[in-house]
Amino acid sequence: MDTKRLWKEFSKGLWNELPPFRLVLGLCPTLAVTKAASTGLGMGAGVIFVLVLSNLLISLVRKIIPAKVRIACFIVIAASLVVIVELLMQAFDYPLYLELGIFVPLIVVNCIILGRAEAFASKNGPLLSVADGLGMGLGFTMSLTFLGSLRELFGSGTLFGAQLMPAAYKPFGFMVEAPGAFVCLGLLLAGMNYMNNVRRRRQGLAAVDGPSHDCGACGLCGK
Amino acid sequence: MRDILKMIIVLSVICGLSGVTLATVRDATMERIQLQELNFVKKPSIVKAVSGYDNDPIVDRREFTTQDGATVLVFPAKRDGRLFAVAIEDVGPGYGGDVSVVVGFDIATDTMTGVGIAPLKETPGVGSRTGDKAFGQQFKGHSLDVDLKSGGGDIDAIAGATVSSTASVTAVKKAVRNYRELKDKIKEAWS
Repeated sequence: MDTKRLWKEFSKGLWNELPPFRLVLGLCPTLAVTKAASTGLGMGAGVIFVLVLSNLLISLVRKIIPAKVRIACFIVIAASLVVIVELLMQAFDYPLYLELGIFVPLIVVNCIILGRAEAFASKNGPLLSVADGLGMGLGFTMSLTFLGSLRELFGSGTLFGAQLMPAAYKPFGFMVEAPGAFVCLGLLLAGMNYMNNVRRRRQGLAAVDGPSHDCGACGLCGK
Repeated sequence: MRDILKMIIVLSVICGLSGVTLATVRDATMERIQLQELNFVKKPSIVKAVSGYDNDPIVDRREFTTQDGATVLVFPAKRDGRLFAVAIEDVGPGYGGDVSVVVGFDIATDTMTGVGIAPLKETPGVGSRTGDKAFGQQFKGHSLDVDLKSGGGDIDAIAGATVSSTASVTAVKKAVRNYRELKDKIKEAWS
């Protein structure tokens, strides 16, 4: 197996196709369980487990699954893995389970799982699929942990439960409420787009590939 | 026709395998999950109800059967290997669901050592105040005859939270009934 290809499939999930921020997929847990860095990390770990195994299993059975019932098969595989995660979480990290609640079973309908199964694992071999799942899962975990850290740091003045802000800092409670999640996510997306624009401008490219708008009216890339 | 048959077979096999796997994992983790549940959900109430023990009431727990066939989970509190109190859980019908109460009983004096009330589903700020220290404190050292003031007893209900207060006291009364019935068995079991 070509290691370059393997690396490419793995690393695309870490930046270029970073699930919540670039593909803007899987937003439900991204918004709901990022009140603290640790819950984001726990959710991410659950998703990595499900994503890697579902990609592996689906790519192993991809040739015997009839095309007409493939979605049903993908869902059964993903759902079984999610129930396993739920049971393991209850057995070994009960507080995390209490914290995540309904969002653990909801991993089944997470777009990333089905999306990678349909778009990648059902067309590629097991090794590539595992690399893809691992990359996407790590990207998802990174994003959730980062968003959770931001919200926890400003919203409660702590990080992974440890007091970081000086005692005089008055926690910005809005950040750990639901609206704070949207605002944080919006600012992060804007920041990432800005960085992308700057990078593309430096390379002399238009802000988007094949712009559909009138370039003269936009001015984003300075052309 | 062959297509349909293939679809049915493949889906059935996948579902069957998934069922077997899930059943296995469930069997393997069930005991641990139960223990975790007790540790994280019941333990906070037990700690409020009894204190001064040096064993693990959750590990030493035992089930008893009452005359009407109900099973009661009893958590023993021991000091230096001797049983001095037990904690019994019961529930009363609250405003948003069952209010779970753990009652501690001193087996030498037949009084309550305290209660741990978990009004998880009660209205925040109203019924949830039955979980506050002030309300639970009233049961500390209380005799086994307990009732709200409105029912002829001496327990003050929380103003505005009649349902939740009644639910808590109902649960305590049920636990008292079980304690009275099982007392001899309990003493025997950990003597």
